[in-house]
Amino acid sequence: MSISPVLQVEDLRIDFQNDAQSLPVLRGLSYSLPAGKVLAVVGESGSGKTVHALSLLRLLPAAGRISGGKILYKGKDLLTLSGKELRQVRGQKIAMIFQDPAASLNPVLTIGDQLCETLQAHRKLTKEQARKEAVKLLEKVGIADAEKRIAEYPFQFSGGMCQRVMIAMALALSPDILIADEPTTALDVTIQAQIIRLIKELQQREKMAVIFITHNLALASQVADEVLVLYGGMCMEQAPAKELFSQPKHPYTQGLLASLASLKTRSERLPAIAGQPPLPGEIMIGCPFVPRCPHAKEKCRQSLPSLTKRGEHAVRCFREDKP
Amino acid sequence: MTACVEIKNLYKTYHRRKWLFGAGEAVEVLKDVTLSLPENRVLGLVGESGCGKSTLCKVLLGIEKPTSGTVVVQGQDVPQATKAQLKKMRRVMQVIYQDPYGSLDPRMTVRQLLSEPLDIHKLYLNKNERNKFLEELVQSVGLSPEHLNRYPHEFSGGQRQRISIARALALDPRVLVADEPVSALDISVQAQILNLLRDIKRTRKLTILFVTHDFAVARFLCDDIAVMYQGRIMEKAPAEQLLAHPQHPYTQTLLSAVPEVGKSLASEPEEKAIGSSAGMGCPFAPRCAKATDVCRQQIPTLLETSPGHWCACACLTQGEKNDLKS
Repeated sequence: MSISPVLQVEDLRIDFQNDAQSLPVLRGLSYSLPAGKVLAVVGESGSGKTVHALSLLRLLPAAGRISGGKILYKGKDLLTLSGKELRQVRGQKIAMIFQDPAASLNPVLTIGDQLCETLQAHRKLTKEQARKEAVKLLEKVGIADAEKRIAEYPFQFSGGMCQRVMIAMALALSPDILIADEPTTALDVTIQAQIIRLIKELQQREKMAVIFITHNLALASQVADEVLVLYGGMCMEQAPAKELFSQPKHPYTQGLLASLASLKTRSERLPAIAGQPPLPGEIMIGCPFVPRCPHAKEKCRQSLPSLTKRGEHAVRCFREDKP
Repeated sequence: MTACVEIKNLYKTYHRRKWLFGAGEAVEVLKDVTLSLPENRVLGLVGESGCGKSTLCKVLLGIEKPTSGTVVVQGQDVPQATKAQLKKMRRVMQVIYQDPYGSLDPRMTVRQLLSEPLDIHKLYLNKNERNKFLEELVQSVGLSPEHLNRYPHEFSGGQRQRISIARALALDPRVLVADEPVSALDISVQAQILNLLRDIKRTRKLTILFVTHDFAVARFLCDDIAVMYQGRIMEKAPAEQLLAHPQHPYTQTLLSAVPEVGKSLASEPEEKAIGSSAGMGCPFAPRCAKATDVCRQQIPTLLETSPGHWCACACLTQGEKNDLKS
């Protein structure tokens, strides 16, 4: 790729401490995010997608520990930064929005207070300047009548509007990277479409890179340039979005895509993937998908296939190793 | 086809206070809802959050009393039913909820959870008979008999939803109310539960009210679909017909917003910013690009626009039918 990566994750490993044992939740994740591109990280609950996102800003809960790997932001390893240096990165270089917008806002402060707080914490602005900036930001994310609404409280905003405020806050310091962790899961479809359009539009205008975390394959196919499929804490497949959805190679990706109910055709039966996804931290020797895989062989049970890259398409499956 | 469930002109109003000593404010959650479920068919009720889907389920189940209107399930008037009659109703009509974590008592084993309805209705009192029944019941939802002695926390979300389904089926009901039964599940597990629901509908000849916000899921499972918005039924038709030729602008807006693999991001629809409440007229008028003064002043009635296809839109009755269809 010609564009230099703005973020590089190398062999990232995260363990969760549980009583006596430590459970591997993320087991060696590597990718690079080119500037101005959208990477979708797709996975089911327990796949490690949210933990991975939190670790990028070192926001893991106390039980979580990064046990190995590197997170390079423009060549600088975020894992070695001091608290003060980290604060320079958070918000200014990498910003994040979360799933439940109403829970991410402080209910007793006005929208304006919260936006100004972010602005004043990072930039030398007077109260009046910060307020003007905040109004501009709200207008940018499509909130009508921003002058008036800035004095309102989060409960006076709908879910979609709250998410717009969160996006405004994330964009306040023009970050290079936006991490969006299931930003539309709590919203209705029509509102979801609006928010996705907004993120996409701002991403293109501000030339921002986005890590878009979702469980919704269809949504990933609409926003992403590149898609990474996580399962059991590992990358199973990674490819440019078009290629991944037209020619999925890993049996898990194939199974997921086949099992989606479609709007266009009515099928007699959905080809469901049997079994359950692994529990976070479940320890397996072989491929984590083995218990559910229609092509599983003895080899798959005993050793873990490596992530093999052909062109821009990387797959973790023994079936792909053969020429 | 005889109707198994008849809902007529149903209204439900809640009262809320803005502050402790303030005057009550009426919130109309269901407005003039008329629906009928023919026997052995699945009716999908689709709508966004807050549109009244779950309230309708509660009224249908007899958990909430309607403000006015009638609900008749297999000849029994639900809102008028006495406690004893309601208890009898439970053998006819059962429910599955969205959250399989919140709807199973964590201190009961699966055996206890499934036996409870049998105890209440005094069924299968012979121990051997009951055990045999429970084993068959869990097998019919894809679990095995040894699961009977476990607790809910030992199961994954999909398996818990199977337990909820088994519990609903324990009394061999005729009608099943399913309130978003798959939306809390992982995608790879959703398909399993949808297949299971389809199987039990066939083998047990159930009539199902299936509440969902997902059109793709509704298409797979439902024979008919009703679209709800702000407490009103906007459109109702056989599933295929509704998805192929949505007539109401709201249905069209909803459908175009559904993301699908291979479909590019829908462009900004011709939709106005959400204005103030609709006031007198069509609830969708403030968002509708085709809204006229008539829409803002008069509530459109649900009319049969083509056989089996009902739609509540003023445009359709004003000869603009073809324009909308295209």
